[in-house]
Amino acid sequence: MMKERLTLIEFWFKLILLALFGLLFLLSTSYPLKAKQFPQLIALFGLMTVVISLVVDFIRKAPLAQEITDVGDTELKTLGKEAKGMRWRRFYHAWAIILVSTAAGFLGGFLFTTFFLFISFSLFFGERKNLFKNTLVTVSLTIIVYFTFQWIFKIPLLQGALW
Amino acid sequence: MNLSELIIQAVGSVFQWQNLAALVAGTIYGIIIGVLPGLGPSAGMALALPLVLKWPPATALIFMGSLYKCSNYGGSITAILVNTPGDSSNAATILDGYPMCEKGKGGVALALSATAAMVGGTIGMFCLVLSAPLLAELALKFGPAEYFLTALLALSIIAAVVQGATLKGLVAAALGLMLSTVGFDVITGHLRYTFGWAPIEDGIPLIQALVGLFAVTQALVLAESGESISQVCKLAGGFWEGVTRYFKHPYTVIRSAAIGLIVGILPAVGQSSAGLLAWAEAKRESKHPETFGRGDPEGVIASETSTNACMPGDLVCTIALGIPGSVGAAIFLGVMIIFGVVPGPLVFNEKADIIYSLFIALILTSFVLFLVGMTFARHFAAVTLLPNEIIVPLILVVSLLGSFAIRNLMADVIISLVFGILGYIMLKGGFTPVPLLLGLVLGEMVESNYHRALMIGGGSYSIFFSSTVSKILIFFIILSFTGPYWGPVWKRLIQQIQHMKGGRKNV
Repeated sequence: MMKERLTLIEFWFKLILLALFGLLFLLSTSYPLKAKQFPQLIALFGLMTVVISLVVDFIRKAPLAQEITDVGDTELKTLGKEAKGMRWRRFYHAWAIILVSTAAGFLGGFLFTTFFLFISFSLFFGERKNLFKNTLVTVSLTIIVYFTFQWIFKIPLLQGALW
Repeated sequence: MNLSELIIQAVGSVFQWQNLAALVAGTIYGIIIGVLPGLGPSAGMALALPLVLKWPPATALIFMGSLYKCSNYGGSITAILVNTPGDSSNAATILDGYPMCEKGKGGVALALSATAAMVGGTIGMFCLVLSAPLLAELALKFGPAEYFLTALLALSIIAAVVQGATLKGLVAAALGLMLSTVGFDVITGHLRYTFGWAPIEDGIPLIQALVGLFAVTQALVLAESGESISQVCKLAGGFWEGVTRYFKHPYTVIRSAAIGLIVGILPAVGQSSAGLLAWAEAKRESKHPETFGRGDPEGVIASETSTNACMPGDLVCTIALGIPGSVGAAIFLGVMIIFGVVPGPLVFNEKADIIYSLFIALILTSFVLFLVGMTFARHFAAVTLLPNEIIVPLILVVSLLGSFAIRNLMADVIISLVFGILGYIMLKGGFTPVPLLLGLVLGEMVESNYHRALMIGGGSYSIFFSSTVSKILIFFIILSFTGPYWGPVWKRLIQQIQHMKGGRKNV
């Protein structure tokens, strides 16, 4: 039961929040009176609600083992281990793509982020038979983004650390 | 300027080409966003926000208002054709819409839905135009203490009912308020919690946060699900048959619109409840209740009329008091604040031109939506066939580009991504990011009114309890905190009384 609780994202998120509210409260002590009054009030309120919430979690008979899978926040589904594993893999892949694309944007400009996002998702998430079609879509959309935002809206899409 | 003059001026403003273009674009964009399952008005507004940021406030709000209003109709298209609601508000439409489609009456069902959007939306908007200024007049008696309490009420209501987990909602709201204190302090100008990072010295940028919480989170959810949308049902049946059939049920239309309006005004009850309530009521009143759920057009009429009348009801409290009636309304409230139109009683004096232009535009949107829906509904459904590997990066590029374009800073992309991961973790942990966003949006107002009220009260906290309005607001705050627990307590109490009565009878 305890082990089950410790693996819940909810539990760890609440612990992080507890630490965060505590840290922000401590940091605010060095501020002038009027600048620290409100943050301290909110931090105390936050600490209180997180602690109550954790206590409620532990005295509750059955822990909530479900994972919310729908952003519409209307449905709660319990997923099998395999499906969960697959979802996590896709999630990690998506994050890896996002991070690499953002790094590319830092180096070469946002246009590189655009290109890397499209090409990486079509490579890692798309089917092999659609590769040519997806590459064509990637190139077309990157060109559209370049002309619309760089030429028309004058947003510097090719301004990065390298140039 | 009196009401009629304001309305005439607003009509003139709405018919300027740029506002009309924004209205049509918002309508089409809203339908497309609604068509895509999982992408609701919240994500739609978050995606569009950076792109319209440099527009005049009236034009931008007309675009956003049309988007917000029309996404519900978009959701009904997939509910009818694909058996997948675009948003939870279209859940009731599936019950009869999809069976109608299976029977070869998909065209009729889509026309019923488009007509319901026009009629329900128009009825709702007229009620909004008439009731919002009256409500605002009452709220003119508000001082800093009352504004502070009103903001707290908005936060507590959203926190309490948005997902049925009051404590989690409150934690999220506290986190939002806490994050709103980052940057220069509104009173002393002291720098707080920036850790020397310049991009957040003016506070956490709202748009970047909003984009992250809703658009990036949504993209991540779509990426990990990897689900493709099922085949679109074959479209058949006459569109005009649907329009004429709609008007053959005037009693259902009026009753459903009334249900939608009332549910919309009730804070945070939501469009999905409105649709289901109206559908159940139509079934209860019908001479043939057994046909409901098997493709009865009256079921589609009831649910769609009600959900479309619900949205203006939602906006009544949002605009007049600054208390959002639903998740979408909470985002719309944030959007209004970003464009300098701060909701509340004073908005009808200070920004009357923009507010009435928005109202007139939303009435007009109902008719544009009808025309667009009747002409292009079947084509919009094709959007659902776009593969996941195109939709996900498209959402990411549009949203992150929007974040980047505001200040041309890659740091803003990082802020959006951080809020994206925060929103994702919150969803996985059973939290909803809406109270967090509302806390972030209202934080500055809460803090400045808190200090102002204390200054007026000479440092005494009794200022927050002194006026009748304050007392009423505090009563509602307590009610919203305890509300979710009243249901079970009440049920148990009734059971105990019944048990006791039963015991006495036995004796």
